[in-house]
Amino acid sequence: MSGLQTDGRVEQGRLLTVENLSTTFATERGPVRAVDQVSLSLDRGQALGIVGESGSGKTVLSRSIMGLLPSTARREGSIRFGDHELLGSGAVDMSKLWGREMSMVFQNPMVSLNPVMRIGEQIAEPLRIHLGMSRRDARATAVRLLRDVRIPEPERRVDQYPHELSGGMRQRVMIAIALACGPTLLFADEPTTALDVTVQAQILDLIAEQREERNMSVVLVTHDLGVVAGHTDVIAVMYGGRLVEVAPTAVLFADMRMPYTEALLQSIPRLDHPSHTRLTAIPGRPPDLLDPPRGCAFAPRCAFARDRCREEAPTLTPADNPEHRFACWYPVGSAEYLETRERIASGLTIGGRS
Amino acid sequence: MNYWVQRLTASIMLLLAVSMLTFGAMNLLGDPLFNILGPAAADTKPESLEKVAAAKELYHLDRPLPERYVRWLGDMVTGDFGVQFSSTGQPPVSDLVVERFPRSLTLLVMAQLLASMIAIPWALITAARANRPADRISTINSFLLIAMPNFALAVILKYIFGIKLGWFPLTFKATDPWLTRIYQTFLPALTIALPAAAVYQRLLRTDLITTLQEDFILMARSKGVSRRRVLLRHALRPSLFSFITVFGINTGALIGGSLIVESIFRIPGLGSAIVEAILREDFPVVLAIVMIITTAFVIVNVVVDIVYTLIDPRVRR
Amino acid sequence: MSDTITKRLGPLFWLAVGWLAIVSLLALFAPWLPIKDPDSYFLVRGERPPYSPSGTHWFGTDQDARDMFARIIYGARVSLVIGFVAIAFGMVVGGTAGIVAGYLRGRTDKVVSFIFIVFLSFPSLVLAILITALLDRGLVTIALTLGVLAVAPVGRLARATTLAYADREFVTAARAIGAGDRRIIVRELLPNVVIPMGALALLGMAVAIVAEGGLAFLGLSVEKGPTWGKLILIGAGSRELEKSPWIAFGPIIVLFLTVLALNYAGDRIRSYYDVREIGL
Repeated sequence: MSGLQTDGRVEQGRLLTVENLSTTFATERGPVRAVDQVSLSLDRGQALGIVGESGSGKTVLSRSIMGLLPSTARREGSIRFGDHELLGSGAVDMSKLWGREMSMVFQNPMVSLNPVMRIGEQIAEPLRIHLGMSRRDARATAVRLLRDVRIPEPERRVDQYPHELSGGMRQRVMIAIALACGPTLLFADEPTTALDVTVQAQILDLIAEQREERNMSVVLVTHDLGVVAGHTDVIAVMYGGRLVEVAPTAVLFADMRMPYTEALLQSIPRLDHPSHTRLTAIPGRPPDLLDPPRGCAFAPRCAFARDRCREEAPTLTPADNPEHRFACWYPVGSAEYLETRERIASGLTIGGRS
Repeated sequence: MNYWVQRLTASIMLLLAVSMLTFGAMNLLGDPLFNILGPAAADTKPESLEKVAAAKELYHLDRPLPERYVRWLGDMVTGDFGVQFSSTGQPPVSDLVVERFPRSLTLLVMAQLLASMIAIPWALITAARANRPADRISTINSFLLIAMPNFALAVILKYIFGIKLGWFPLTFKATDPWLTRIYQTFLPALTIALPAAAVYQRLLRTDLITTLQEDFILMARSKGVSRRRVLLRHALRPSLFSFITVFGINTGALIGGSLIVESIFRIPGLGSAIVEAILREDFPVVLAIVMIITTAFVIVNVVVDIVYTLIDPRVRR
Repeated sequence: MSDTITKRLGPLFWLAVGWLAIVSLLALFAPWLPIKDPDSYFLVRGERPPYSPSGTHWFGTDQDARDMFARIIYGARVSLVIGFVAIAFGMVVGGTAGIVAGYLRGRTDKVVSFIFIVFLSFPSLVLAILITALLDRGLVTIALTLGVLAVAPVGRLARATTLAYADREFVTAARAIGAGDRRIIVRELLPNVVIPMGALALLGMAVAIVAEGGLAFLGLSVEKGPTWGKLILIGAGSRELEKSPWIAFGPIIVLFLTVLALNYAGDRIRSYYDVREIGL
């Protein structure tokens, strides 16, 4: 959708600024802090990857920024999108932005498309609501969008129902729907988790391609470091609702500081390991967000944790590269870290396997 | 295919059983001769004996019971409902049926229409505000409506709208024009519709709440679709299945269930006809109407099954 | 854990039971209670009945100056008895048939099920009217007629529950130690089937009481004495209704509350039982 301008649209530079965002859910057993003081920013055309295990709060974070939360959720902090402040009393009506300026691609295409509505109608809906298109124009645009996302025979597909398409095709349709009005910010929440491996790469490439063409910002939420490796400019690692490390992608992989990030990387199975190498899993389970730990959230499971980690929660501090922030008292490469490494290697401490 | 053959056989057997039951009950428990001729049946005066003989001839009363049944069955299947028991001429039953049927049909259609018109918006509103005060009050209301016996509801409605407010007339004439008849049918239709609407609403609300938790609803919101449009355009359609099934089955049940309402509001329909017929023990009429009601019930159930297989994509596949 | 939601029957349940107990007791002991005679006329010179509710007549009087409160209580005697007998008959006959059919299956089941379906498809009110019109209109006849109508729904539930239980382990275990069919049915299945049937019994009583009301409205209820249905009919048909709504609304409210209480209690037992089921 080139050439589409709206007032206040950011063409270059800073698009999104999130400051100290916290999201709390009111549950029967008490308040649950799913997102805890997260700050990050994104420029137009940049791709941000948010990585973490299930329960780390990454999905809640993306939905918190979008504002797609149930009524039991409370947000605090500040979210600036272009000229607009999205939180607080002066906040803009989100349904004007949804589908128009920012949109989301959901995880499971099987259940995220309305089963009793035709594909074309589902794509046309935002076009007609936001852009006031006529039925005919909307349908023509839908066909074009299907072609953009590389669905063969779009004229035929546009009148079909979701169950007539394969999983990969349905995900492409979801992308088409998200791109329909030409948003400046696209959230992709585990877009490939429910798909076959062969299809995963295609979908990621498609997103990357559209991102370039439209100069669109992308937030890629996933548990898979492999997914973000090739498709993002910046990566943010989350654990227990908190941001534990943020860095430009290359920097993160070259110089990770937080042991959790290191553990994540190590848990990816690699082709060049000898066969029957044991998969490295991170022992233990994510923290209970109902009763968050006082110190570092990862301490109970961290092989390198010491007393200070359990007492005091580390704050995000910059590394040598100012765009690289991490939260750890004894990061990778520090004296204490190396010391613990030694002791593990000589079998004196129980720690993670390397 | 096999399933439908089974269905058909079962339905036919059902209808036969019902007819035998009714026929037997009427003839064994009642006295046909008396019903036709009145006290003259026991009379020994020559004119009476003549009448008795004539009646016996006409209604085949001398033949054994099973034979009479088979004869009746044969007639019924070919569309001949026989003639009414009467000593003053023998108006064919079919006349009565044809005359009364439209009123019952109007009542039924209106009742179901009203019930849906009440239930669907009610369900939408309560589903959107699930578990909040408005919804909780509504649940109590539904429960009350369902517990209320229909004749009591009829009296209440008649009292409020007929007597106190005077909005609706309380007497009817068979010769009233078409539009007036619709107006007259409103209150009785409402009596039937309100409890039915409560049942429909409960069902629809539950299904709507389930549907609203699906991912595609969130996805629709993320496109910028307004809450209202999401409810009407995305959530409603997939939630209608149970409602439609119950709606269909209820149509069958209502065919027989409108007896009391028809009698209370004095609607000249099939329901009141059968009540009157039973009271004066007019067997052919009773038999005919029972068969009509039961057949309609069976047909409606079969239709509901067919419709269900057609519209539910899961069953279809 | 104190946070877990314990499924209790709830205070409203006991309220409903309380109401039912009060009504039943009043009905049972009516002849010995200090209430007025339901058939006597309590005319006050110079004033035309119906008299509005007052200290002497708690629910007022009807248009013939008969005390409504007494009439309602005596009406309860009939209505409750009908409801009870009908459902008891239904439970005994229908329940037995259903359990046997569900347990033995095969031909017995097919025949019994077919009979159930016939009765269920028959417009039940028609059957009730038919029998009452053709026979007499005594208390027993009406109660038994409604009882016959109750057989099918009760039987269907009994059969379904039995089918669900007959495959359970404790039945197989009983068989393994050599227990005969009859013993299994009585000692193993019956106790488990009884609970959902109990819930159904309450609901069924409500239906039977309402059915009696319906019959009354067609002029087919018991001949002598007041029943709730008859009282409502008389009240509703009277010209005095407009100025003296209590002549109809007194019995309506009592009937409604009773039916409501039965419905609610039956419902609560059913959901209570269901939850415990899941816990097993």
